[in-house]
Amino acid sequence: MRSFLKHIFRFAMFLVIQVLVLNQVELGAGTLIIIYPLFIFLLPVEINIFLLLFLAFALGISIDALSNTYGLHASSMLIFAYFRPIILKVFAPRDGYEPDVELNFYSMGYRWFFQTFGVLLLIHHFWFFLIELFRFDEAFYVFKLTVLSVPMSFALCILLQFLLIRKPSKGL
Amino acid sequence: MRNFLAFIRRFRVLLFFALLQGFALTVYFTFSNYPRSQYLTTASDVSGTIMDWRNDITKHFALSGSNKQLQYENRWLREQLLANKLSLLAPVGIDSVVIKKEDFVQRFEYIPGGIISSSFNRRNNYFTLNIGSKQGVKRGMGVISSKGVVGVIHNVSEHFSVIKSCLTKDINVDIMINNSGEPGFLKWNGGDPRRGSMAGVSNDRSIKKWSKIVTRGKSGIFPRGIPVGMVEKSTPVEGYPIWDVTILFAENYRTVQYVYVIKNIMKTEQELLEATIPPDPAEE
Repeated sequence: MRSFLKHIFRFAMFLVIQVLVLNQVELGAGTLIIIYPLFIFLLPVEINIFLLLFLAFALGISIDALSNTYGLHASSMLIFAYFRPIILKVFAPRDGYEPDVELNFYSMGYRWFFQTFGVLLLIHHFWFFLIELFRFDEAFYVFKLTVLSVPMSFALCILLQFLLIRKPSKGL
Repeated sequence: MRNFLAFIRRFRVLLFFALLQGFALTVYFTFSNYPRSQYLTTASDVSGTIMDWRNDITKHFALSGSNKQLQYENRWLREQLLANKLSLLAPVGIDSVVIKKEDFVQRFEYIPGGIISSSFNRRNNYFTLNIGSKQGVKRGMGVISSKGVVGVIHNVSEHFSVIKSCLTKDINVDIMINNSGEPGFLKWNGGDPRRGSMAGVSNDRSIKKWSKIVTRGKSGIFPRGIPVGMVEKSTPVEGYPIWDVTILFAENYRTVQYVYVIKNIMKTEQELLEATIPPDPAEE
């Protein structure tokens, strides 16, 4: 129950930060900082895949409704949620994941987080800009936007985890 | 049948994903051209109200700038008043050149409104207005600010509306170069919110740098002569007899706040008349 409330709170928080703050940040050349995939990433490992896809869709379409992008965020969010179990399987530790541990920067180590979340964010951003531009002669522009936006989104996602998640005590 | 059920069970995750993805992509690719409803946009009541709240806070940051701009506009309009002008043609008292009010009828009306949410760094940028169908806004009306063209109304709800701004892929406002009258269409290539381009200008005439670009007013959405921007440079397009004209926009779309929606009272009349033109048999 507590974790349920926690995720509801996070859903609202990511929505508000993305729509009211980050969508207004202009860094030039059409780049965009996107942090809401972190919400899907921080959900429990053993969550039902249908629920995962539905939550991703719900968050995406809510952001779309507030920023006039008509399903663009929902589409790229679904891609992120669909690839999450696949990427988690690829980068799984030798003994598998512990069922009640949240997958974050602290619990899994920076190297693991860098690999999994980095790859997923790259897929997400690439799809987002591909659909947004949707022209073959702007293919180079898609790569440029992806490469420029991913590091900034990634850095902010790490920063956000310092604020959101209490560091586990060393005695455990 | 059993095989079919087994197939569904095997690929149920992929099918569910494809269903949601299909919905999202359909919405994305059809809404930007044919907006059927306003539920998934900021024209809806919930999103519009949230944007309204945010605007109530952030609008004060630009207050002195917008006040100054409104004052400049007022000054310009005041100078246009006939009472402030001295007639050079005729001494006072001669009727023949005195302009009478009865000689004119109103063609365009302006509905004032404010932009409560905007973006300028995406490929297609839509602005949200705090006025809607209750104030008389309809789809397809033009929107201008005191400095220049802003866009065209794309989607309307009762209290809010969404503008397809000049920073979209296919805005296609009909514009012309002020001095020569050379017609063309407004385009935006993405990236820079200060610069657009003008398509379809034939290269048999040279274009002067920094000449003004204004609306042409052919389709009745905008009056003739609303400023759009200035010619920054014109380069020849290889293999075509046209110029590629870069426009520096008159309006800074990052900070635009107060706008007017243009209502053309005679639009139906113009459209009905144009509909009576017989179709060209060569085109069929």
